[in-house]
Amino acid sequence: MPSRPQTDALHGSLDLLILKTLSIAPMHGWGISQHVRQISKGVLEVNQGSLYPALQRLEKEGLVTSDWDTTDNNRLARYYRLTTTGRRALGVELESWRRFAAGLQAVLDVP
Amino acid sequence: MTWFHAARARLRLLAPRAAEARIDDEIRFHIEMETQRIAREQQVGQDEARRRALATFGGVQQHRETLRDGRGTAWLSGLSLDLKLGFRMLVKYPGLTLIGGLAMAFGVWFGAVTFQMFGAITSTKLPLPDGDRIVRIQNWDLKTSKDEDRVLYDYQLWRATRSITDLGAYRDASVNLVGADGAAQPETAAEITASAFRIAPERPLLGRVLTESDEAAGAAPVVLLGYEVWTRRFDRDPQIVGRMVKLGDSFATVVGVMPEGFAFPMAHNMWLPLHMNSAGAEPRRGIAIKVFGRLANGMSLENAQAEFASIGKRLAVEHPNTHAQLQPYVTPYAQLGVNNTDKLAMMGLSYFFVVALMVVVCSTVALLLFARAASRESELLVRSALGASRRRIVTQLFAEALVLAGVAAVVGLASAQFSLTRLGRPYIEMNYGMLPFWVDFDLSPTSIVSALALAVIGAVVAGVMPARKITRGLGTRLRAGTAGGGGVSFGGVWTAVIVTQVALTVALPAVAMLVRGETKRVEAYDAGFATKEYLGATLGIEDALEETATPEARAALEGRVTASLDALRQRLEAEPGVSGVTFADALPAEDHNYLRAEVVSLPGAAPRWVAAARVHPSYFDVLQAPAVSGRLFTTADLSADARAVIVDRAFVDLVMSGRNPIGHRVRLGSGAASDSNGAQLPWYEIVGVVKELGMASAAMPQRVPGLYLPVAPGSQGANKLIVHVRGDPLSLAPSIRELAAAVDGALRVEQVMRLDQVTTPLLWLFNLWLRIIIGLTAVALLLSLSGIYAVLAYVVARRTREIGVRVALGASSRRVITSIFRRPLTQVSLGVIAGSVLIFVASIGVGNTTQFRGSGVGGVLTPGELVLLGGYAILMLGVCMLACVIPTMRALRVQPTEALRAE
Repeated sequence: MPSRPQTDALHGSLDLLILKTLSIAPMHGWGISQHVRQISKGVLEVNQGSLYPALQRLEKEGLVTSDWDTTDNNRLARYYRLTTTGRRALGVELESWRRFAAGLQAVLDVP
Repeated sequence: MTWFHAARARLRLLAPRAAEARIDDEIRFHIEMETQRIAREQQVGQDEARRRALATFGGVQQHRETLRDGRGTAWLSGLSLDLKLGFRMLVKYPGLTLIGGLAMAFGVWFGAVTFQMFGAITSTKLPLPDGDRIVRIQNWDLKTSKDEDRVLYDYQLWRATRSITDLGAYRDASVNLVGADGAAQPETAAEITASAFRIAPERPLLGRVLTESDEAAGAAPVVLLGYEVWTRRFDRDPQIVGRMVKLGDSFATVVGVMPEGFAFPMAHNMWLPLHMNSAGAEPRRGIAIKVFGRLANGMSLENAQAEFASIGKRLAVEHPNTHAQLQPYVTPYAQLGVNNTDKLAMMGLSYFFVVALMVVVCSTVALLLFARAASRESELLVRSALGASRRRIVTQLFAEALVLAGVAAVVGLASAQFSLTRLGRPYIEMNYGMLPFWVDFDLSPTSIVSALALAVIGAVVAGVMPARKITRGLGTRLRAGTAGGGGVSFGGVWTAVIVTQVALTVALPAVAMLVRGETKRVEAYDAGFATKEYLGATLGIEDALEETATPEARAALEGRVTASLDALRQRLEAEPGVSGVTFADALPAEDHNYLRAEVVSLPGAAPRWVAAARVHPSYFDVLQAPAVSGRLFTTADLSADARAVIVDRAFVDLVMSGRNPIGHRVRLGSGAASDSNGAQLPWYEIVGVVKELGMASAAMPQRVPGLYLPVAPGSQGANKLIVHVRGDPLSLAPSIRELAAAVDGALRVEQVMRLDQVTTPLLWLFNLWLRIIIGLTAVALLLSLSGIYAVLAYVVARRTREIGVRVALGASSRRVITSIFRRPLTQVSLGVIAGSVLIFVASIGVGNTTQFRGSGVGGVLTPGELVLLGGYAILMLGVCMLACVIPTMRALRVQPTEALRAE
């Protein structure tokens, strides 16, 4: 079976992916999508269009904040960074995801 | 700091242009970066790379919309667009704007006036420092259910209370003031304690206010002038302070002038020190005063009420004869007789009425807007197809109604302010005297907000109701592709709205006719003599009589007044042009006293209420009404043992059943319980009969039996002066004042008028009513006409194709007209029938009220009135059908080919 990007699996975990990515360094929207793609070796593909509404929502919730900045090749881009609350929320989300994954794994491991 | 970041983010999102630019920039950056990546990694040209980047991103526009919605301001920008559209609609449909706007403005006007009047009457706010702590203290008599104002004795005890400070009192006094021109004119003054000027601490414009030393016995008499009196009577003389002015028959020094607008305690123009001599006061004796004060620091109204209640209980024990039935009570100063429970009930009722009227009016506007929206159905269908939700379309239609209501609210509020301050206030002050100084007719913020809320309610009724109806099943209609195919129809609600309005249009003029009839009757009132040749005036002597406590002093004062009035009569009779002077206790056509008369010499005759007048023996001569039979009064009838009365023709007809009354004896009672032992009552002998001379007041439609008792001028309330003048009676008015002042300085001349002017205030009231009813009728007529027109125009537009087919198949014009007319004809007929039934029921109701019972007004309609009513109903039917003319013409002009092509 040919491998395809697991976009469906991302439902509900987009916020987690964004928060995790931003916990490494402040990044613009395109950067976030590239980071996820590269780290997952192309397995996870962020739906680029829905990335920005998610970022807007997180910003309204005070989990991330944003400002204009220049990129390495001197272009103006909007950079998102994690706030303290966002970092705390990431911890909670991660914990909850791990429990979910472990539960899922346990079910799938039954021979 | 979450809140800070969140707030910052939200604020940024709220700035519409910046937020839009940010979304665009961000998406553009993303697409460019992705294009470069694809071109690099997949080795394709820029154009292809960009195409793939866009495809990966998904619908750019859709995501942009999602972001916009996420800003949470979409509804805001949507609403502003809707409001803009709403304004365009106002201009595009001027007829609807005018009619709907006027109707809504009427609703807002009515609401604003009601709210403001209600607020003004029930407000307990005083425009004074600490106004909410100023109180009024009164003694309530449980037995008579009236206030007992003779509280000098109680006042001494009240002064010692802990809960009230600055206790003070006043009483009204009307005194003759001689102005700069030397003429004496009565002015409304308050005799008041100096503490009033601590309660209302206004700085005088000139001089000083009254002080405690002015109240001391033997202090030099002083007077404090109001701005209005100072302006009108002394031409704003800056040197007035320190001058002596003549007040009644004594002199007083002017100590100061108060600034404009100062009218404490109620609506007073002049202030005199109040000499109470309360030290030796006996319970429930002495002068009548009104008491006020301020709640002491830390004391509430309840504390004060409790303290005064305990004083009341103590006094009831100490003075059971006078105080057993008295209860002192403390109320906010500005509260005039309306307690809180009543206030709430009244408020609820009036608000309900106002909202109900607005809803009725706006249902018609809703009908018009519905017809307009229905004619724009294609537009709405297209919007729906482009993705507008039902809520979005309802919002748009609501916004259109809101714009209309907004314009109407401005017009309504402006006319409410005008009618309250320019018409309402002068009218009330002219008829009921000056209003207390705290009653404000300028629209208050509360009234304005309430009226605006009313406008929003109107917009909801007029906008949302039709919008919900027209958007119902929009999706189905869209799928079926039947734009203009008859999906929308007028339901029962609209029929009910039109029927109600036509009924009102039919019924209201009947009320106008009733009022007009009353006006005509009052105008045609015949007092039995040439009222235009007579001058009437009220002589101010009653206040003076009230002051004296002992019967001896009272008799002495009465003697003095009689002597003064007799002297005035002689002086007046000597004036050129005067052919007679007399006195009575009421002017003809005014309300008279009623006495219960029993003709004792007529066995089995039941006692009857008769209008009684106390008149000077010269009365009938001066009114040129000779005796019809028997004799007139002579001065001999004034003696204490004389028992002569005169009756009028109505008495002969109604009480004596046409028998000759001369020599019959009547007992007269006041109808009170003490009259039960009729034999104790004095009896009188009828000595003469005269014609009817205005014993029934002009407001009464029935004949009233009249009876005259002889009286000396000034005694027993006979303080109305009647002068027969050759030429213009009003030219005599200044000389009456001069002569009165010359005869007795304390004699006040008030309400000088020609006797035919007695009915003027009543006529004014009737005219006001008439105008209001005509206004209401015009609004109802306008609304029903436009409603019928809108519905019919819409129906014709919807049925263009059907009419075309009918005409093509050879249907005659008559058939087409009949098919169109059926519905409006039914509605208007139902309305006319409902209106006629309303008139019929109401006329029977009116006929049974006390005012009109037995007067021939109301009751079962006469054939003449029935014909008139029928004619009017047919006229209304015709007028309403006029609204159908244009749509019908349009329908008849439909060409078959055109109609079929329309599909």
